[in-house]
Amino acid sequence: MRSPARAEPLQGSSSREILIHKLAAPGQSGDLAHCLRMLTEYLGASNYLLARYDLVQEDGLDFVVASDWPFDLVRRLDSELATTYSQSTELEKCMSVLQPKYNLLPDDVHVLDGISRQYCSITLNVGRTRLALMLLFPQDHVLAADRLREVGLLIGYVVGLSVSKGQKSDRDFELTERELECLFWIAEGKTSDEIATILGISRNTINNYITSVMRKTATKTRSEAIAYAVRNNLV
Amino acid sequence: MGHQNRPGGSTLEDATWSSQRPVTSRTDIFPKLVSLQRSLNARGFAAFRVAGASLPHKRRLDAEYENWSSGLSSGRDAFVAAYGDTLLGHIEASTLPLMWCADDESSFIEASDFTPFTTQVDARLLPYSGIAFPVRLGAVGNGYIVFPTAGGADLPGELVLSVHSRCYQVMTDILSLDERKAMTSETLSEREIACLQLAGDGRISEEIAERLGLSVHTVNAYLGSATIKLDSVNRIQAIAKAIRLGYIT
Repeated sequence: MRSPARAEPLQGSSSREILIHKLAAPGQSGDLAHCLRMLTEYLGASNYLLARYDLVQEDGLDFVVASDWPFDLVRRLDSELATTYSQSTELEKCMSVLQPKYNLLPDDVHVLDGISRQYCSITLNVGRTRLALMLLFPQDHVLAADRLREVGLLIGYVVGLSVSKGQKSDRDFELTERELECLFWIAEGKTSDEIATILGISRNTINNYITSVMRKTATKTRSEAIAYAVRNNLV
Repeated sequence: MGHQNRPGGSTLEDATWSSQRPVTSRTDIFPKLVSLQRSLNARGFAAFRVAGASLPHKRRLDAEYENWSSGLSSGRDAFVAAYGDTLLGHIEASTLPLMWCADDESSFIEASDFTPFTTQVDARLLPYSGIAFPVRLGAVGNGYIVFPTAGGADLPGELVLSVHSRCYQVMTDILSLDERKAMTSETLSEREIACLQLAGDGRISEEIAERLGLSVHTVNAYLGSATIKLDSVNRIQAIAKAIRLGYIT
């Protein structure tokens, strides 16, 4: 797969310079939608969908960060994404960061004329937040892999800029530092007694922390609480 | 700071990168890092991994690949002492490249056409300038690729971006080498995986036994053998490892 940038090096590199230049202002002000529009055009793609990949397993469309995909398509893809997310292991997810992947849209959805039934997705992380950019693109158009990686990076930059200004990430909203610390040591195989020694607090306090974690995460056993923590990247 | 020293050029040596051959040893990693060092006109490099999981005061940076000694008056330890905490804090929220300027007026680093996409950290802590590229892959494979630089440098934004993209590839390569090592240990049986999965889903041994049509003792035995194979001290640690290694979801 040859990238357009390689075929015309001069033009390719200057268009990248222009892109970086134009991205600076909306990037700084945290105008994510504007940045996404520009990056989508830069790739020659037609529509973008930026998703909180780590939230696709939950109900509703909260996972959508920004999108100009047709709404029906987003709704239809919801379950599809949740399935791919749960079928890949944490390690596979780590190894595939910034590696473009192609999938087919479900057969029963209607796509606009001239748009490919394939869509491209690329994942990235900002702090503990895992994001996926999904792109619709015209038929017979080839998205350049190196450009896609750079666009993934740039989105990470922009998201980082807008997050660091505003709220903290909402995943570990409910667990306190102490609770996370306990979870960490349990995942390392330590018993309550051992953790009590490590942290210099009483065994009962440790057990209270763990009970509170299980209540907050709606888990029934210690094992399940740890599994929850590992799955959600908390330890 | 009138004099600006543009680095060699914004094109990377593609020969080092074009081969799709999977990396099989540490010697496959070094040429890639050297090519990045050259394209930045840097004086060395170091690839750090974040170790110590998610506890803020337990995290540290471990250098895995480095070429730091030549002509740099203070060693890599001095770099970690000066900027380690800044780097660890930064990667929790952002992937923007970090730059630092030396305490010597003639040495500085910037990327004037790439603001606001780089962050300048406290200057004048070290006798050399440099740039650090954060890489965040997820539960594993987080860290920095760091390049100390010489003289004054105003890096083109394009170069910063393409080097950062390559840094991600290098970190992915490093991670894949690690996994090759981890995979050689004994593999888990189907039964052991089934028991671990159910235990991770919050089932107690009695429930697992009923679900799989086994006795409670057998279930406990499977969980015990899985714990040994996963080099863990108890079933909870075994579940955590099994998820991280991808045996269960």
